Amino acid sequence: MMNNLTRWVRLALRLTLLHGSIALAAETPRQLIVRATLAADAATQRAALAELMGQADTAIAPLLEAWRTDALFIFTTPEGIKIPVLISGEKTAAGTATASRLTDGLPLTDAQGNPLVLTVADLAPVEHNASLRRAMKAVLDLADLAATEPEKRIKAISTIGLTQDVEKLPAFRARLKIETDGAVNRALREAIALAQLKNPLPAAQLAALNELQALRSLASTDFLKRALKEFEEAKDPTLAAAARAALAAVDEHRASVDFFGTLFRGLSLGSILLVAALGLAITFGLMRVINMAHGEMIAVGAYTTYLVQAMFGSGLTIPCFGFSLPIFGLNLTGPAYQAYFIAALPCSFLAAALVGIALERSVIRFLYRRPLESLLATWGVSLVMQQGLRLMFGANNVQVASPTYLSGNWLINDVILGWNRVFVIGFAIVIVFGMGLVLTKTSLGLLIRASMQNPTMAACMGVRTPRVNMLTFGLGSGLAGLAGAFLSQIGNVGPSLGQGYIIDSFMVVVVGGVGSIGGTILSAFGIGGIDQVLQQYLPYVAPGLNWVPGIGGFLQNLAQDAAVFGKILVLAGIILFLQWKPAGLFPTRSRSLED
Amino acid sequence: MTPTTYRRLELGALTSTAILLVAIIPWLHANGTISNFTIGVWGKYLCYALLAISVDLLWGYTGLLSLGQALFFTLGGYMHGMYLMRMIGDLGQYKKPLPDFLVFLGWERLPAFWEPFASFPFALSMVFLLPGIIAYIFGFLAFRSRIKGVYFSILTQALTYAASIMFFRNNLLLGGNNGFTDFKFILGYNLAAPATSRALFIATAMAVLLAYVFCRWLSQTKFGLVQQAIRDGENRVLFSGYATAHFKLFVFVVAALIAAVGGALYTPQVGIINPGEMQADKSLEAVVWVAVGGRGTLLGPIIGAITINALKSWATRAYPDLWLILLGGLFIIVVLFLPGGIVSLPTRLRSAWQIFRAAPPPSPASSPKPPLT
Amino acid sequence: MSHPLLSVEDVSKSYDGFKAITNLTFYLNAGELRTVIGPNGAGKSTFFDLITGRAKPDCGKIEFGDTAASTQDLTSLNEFEINRLGIGRKFQTPSVYSDHTVWENLLLSLKGPRGVFASLFHRLTSTDHDRLHEILATVRLESKHDWKAGLLAHGEKQWLEIGMLLAQDPKVLLVDEPAAGMTDDETDRTGDLLLSLAGKHSLIVIEHDMAFVKQIARHGQVTVLHQGSVLCEGKFEEVQANPKVREVYLGRGKHGSR
Repeated sequence: MMNNLTRWVRLALRLTLLHGSIALAAETPRQLIVRATLAADAATQRAALAELMGQADTAIAPLLEAWRTDALFIFTTPEGIKIPVLISGEKTAAGTATASRLTDGLPLTDAQGNPLVLTVADLAPVEHNASLRRAMKAVLDLADLAATEPEKRIKAISTIGLTQDVEKLPAFRARLKIETDGAVNRALREAIALAQLKNPLPAAQLAALNELQALRSLASTDFLKRALKEFEEAKDPTLAAAARAALAAVDEHRASVDFFGTLFRGLSLGSILLVAALGLAITFGLMRVINMAHGEMIAVGAYTTYLVQAMFGSGLTIPCFGFSLPIFGLNLTGPAYQAYFIAALPCSFLAAALVGIALERSVIRFLYRRPLESLLATWGVSLVMQQGLRLMFGANNVQVASPTYLSGNWLINDVILGWNRVFVIGFAIVIVFGMGLVLTKTSLGLLIRASMQNPTMAACMGVRTPRVNMLTFGLGSGLAGLAGAFLSQIGNVGPSLGQGYIIDSFMVVVVGGVGSIGGTILSAFGIGGIDQVLQQYLPYVAPGLNWVPGIGGFLQNLAQDAAVFGKILVLAGIILFLQWKPAGLFPTRSRSLED
Repeated sequence: MTPTTYRRLELGALTSTAILLVAIIPWLHANGTISNFTIGVWGKYLCYALLAISVDLLWGYTGLLSLGQALFFTLGGYMHGMYLMRMIGDLGQYKKPLPDFLVFLGWERLPAFWEPFASFPFALSMVFLLPGIIAYIFGFLAFRSRIKGVYFSILTQALTYAASIMFFRNNLLLGGNNGFTDFKFILGYNLAAPATSRALFIATAMAVLLAYVFCRWLSQTKFGLVQQAIRDGENRVLFSGYATAHFKLFVFVVAALIAAVGGALYTPQVGIINPGEMQADKSLEAVVWVAVGGRGTLLGPIIGAITINALKSWATRAYPDLWLILLGGLFIIVVLFLPGGIVSLPTRLRSAWQIFRAAPPPSPASSPKPPLT
Repeated sequence: MSHPLLSVEDVSKSYDGFKAITNLTFYLNAGELRTVIGPNGAGKSTFFDLITGRAKPDCGKIEFGDTAASTQDLTSLNEFEINRLGIGRKFQTPSVYSDHTVWENLLLSLKGPRGVFASLFHRLTSTDHDRLHEILATVRLESKHDWKAGLLAHGEKQWLEIGMLLAQDPKVLLVDEPAAGMTDDETDRTGDLLLSLAGKHSLIVIEHDMAFVKQIARHGQVTVLHQGSVLCEGKFEEVQANPKVREVYLGRGKHGSR
């Protein structure tokens, strides 16, 4: 019994210690503000405000804001007690309003508890001058320092850090002592070091430089450069050397961040290409059907995601072929609404697969073994579908909001990894394995492979090849639909969404070797990686292009557009690659004369 | 019908068409029966007919479905457009001696590669040279590594795509997505004058006739036989000792030149050239013209280009929302049910009539061709 | 022994791990008519593919030439280059230009310059004309000279392809199953034609039909391929008597009669 009690006491003590700052300052933020408003001289007011620095109370910001905009008043009771109040209600025509007490935010009442109606003109506004306003701003700037979300804290610290404001140092140092989050800690150290660069004491500057070097702070590059210049002008070899070392460390770090960032973006672009091309690898690679409407299958998937999102939310009305078609929503909120994307995945797959099956039954089945004709007919289909989507959902892009678990970034050592892109990489891996399993371990897969290799033989063995063809095409289209669901998280969803991916997808399949899923995977990541490397590093190479005789300036000009020029180089690279390996990375061979 | 009578008939039809296009229509235009607008529109159709001929020469006769013909068409248009831009002189909106978009981009002086385009002969030679060289390089690489069938189609589409994203950029200094427009003069003549439109129409008509006669001649030479043999069984041709890559390269370059001429004539008559013309869809549209008209025939592409574009002019005004559905649907139907296109209709109808009358089937020589891949 | 016209030495070829040809060595002398037999999958067609450049050997040498000085390495040449050296081939499945007429098929095969510009401005001389008619007569297709080749019967296509081979006037004729799809009478005639070509030309004939092999191998050698290598070589009777051959090929009752 006794033991238990000591434990409780200890725990209570620990809790108090954890919230040390609050426990030590006997007054709450509201009380501090009250004290500031009632103080007679500006110095006392500033001192009171200074105590607010770094406190996280949500009441602070609106109250100070009200003070600044002359909405705080002193109400003097008949007894002569001065009460600072905030005019809370709308002013009536007679210039009267109700008010709330600053001390606790409760309405100002008379003895009976009825709200007091005040004549605003009779009240004395709480005064403020320039120095007070500065003090208030400093408090507001630092308010987020104590925010509960680490992201908010980091943002506030980084923003203030860039101003190199020496006056913020005490607040930073105070926060640093109690900060437990590693990333925030780092941001604080960075901000302190940046501010310390302004410190006139060489020792402090040196410490700051060493700190920045140790932190390898990317944000500090410009400051370090400026400082280096100053130190060189001041002929201070020690500091200049330290600055140089810090700068070198930062540059090195930047190079590696760029490298890993590029790697990640290449990986994610590769995954996007792979997801978009996998369906094509089936329809083109296994069935030898050139489906130019593959892009529209992707769009079908994306629009299905859009519809599912709307149905989980508040519904919407689509201009379906001139008839406004209302889609009712379930009006879900919170996690239930966020789950829409999970529901959208199978829906997208099914919608695209059904469209694909309809397409196979109506057009493609007449065109097996006639690849060029299938290319042309499916292009016609793609036109019809694009226009159909336009008439159904409108010509403008639609908004698909990312669920919370797919938005935001994951920051590893300064490399920014978007959650949606991390997800698409994982997703690509999952569907590659899934498809591999379907093709190799299920009886449907066996039938598919048999029918694709030798349809006549398979038919003779009793395989219903038309059915298998239909299902295979549906599978390929469904995969395109899944790709669409994901692309809706990454880019715009519009009627011509698919057009942006169709050429890339075909390139991926051709380079990989038609009919080889493994080749498709390798080529998707190869093309994605090379594209991102070019985009990242072309601008560095661009000035060098001046060397090319005649068209150097022209090339340099073009290379500035790294994204476009990179794409062109990738396409040129593909054409050259096919010189070396005309049938792609993993060719499938045939013995017939014309194939 | 004996070959001689057939040849006489063809010659007669060709001559009368030539007279109609080169003399009668211009005459009707001169005396005001045909409006300026109409002759401009028909001039555009004939430019598209050249594009269609180039597609057919490759696809219909050689089995190469090139989706890059719009690129060569547009390149020809741009090369001529550069000359026309220079001819604006300082009459542009900014009243500066260089094209408006360059002024807009902040250029004070003309970039070096724009300089020689003030000369018409230079621009004209570039109309042939640039598309020709690009076709040669691309064709050389593609045919050397034996890229054929759909792979060739996809690669030519990729080439066009790469070029179009390049032309959309302002940095290329070719007008970005607005391209060239507001032309004023050609060879010193005012482009707005009816006589100039007429002359351009006659030039286009003659180009189409020349292209027709050239293809007609080509199809009768041994080269034409090899070309069609490549379409039907390329490997067999290789084993007969023909370097098929050289033949294909020759046809590819010639087709690119025909398309380029079409584009060069298109620019002054339509009054604008921009990268929208070289998107992959445009090439496919040209394939539709050929398919609808009748691939592998000489007349088909011309008929197809004119019919579909006339239909487009009408439908985009009457049913703007439905045009793409109409075009796509038409294409699906033609591919599925009418592989021979419009040109094959009379034969088809005749054989249908003969079957209807239970007459003997047509002689083997004129029976429909098996599907080509 | 004189210099062989065609020599294939230690050649191997595998497709995705399957060994189609293993250490094959083969010589053909000028004017010889060689018959190649072997069960299905023995590598006969691959053997032709390697000679004509359709496939490249993984290792080994393939050389062609009348004299040691004019000998050329075929492995580095293209299909059409090899053809231009004078090696013509008739395929197992008749490969004619089905959309061209019989006449055009022969015209395309007729010996002469093969370049782009040569064919643009090509004109048929009266000698060419006579030669084409002569071939038409040989393959008995005069009456069908303006037929589309695709409309011919299987046997006629075989004849047309033989005609196309004749038109090329090659030094070496590689003939893959010429008698397939022909009537007995036609088969007989094909045999006579091939025999009449020997001497002026050199021939390698792949055949399954044993009666036909017996007919054409009267004077020449027979080579038996088995699992991508030469099992034995010799006169027809010797080969027929060879116990190894009987075991792998003739010995299997169901093949014996073919």
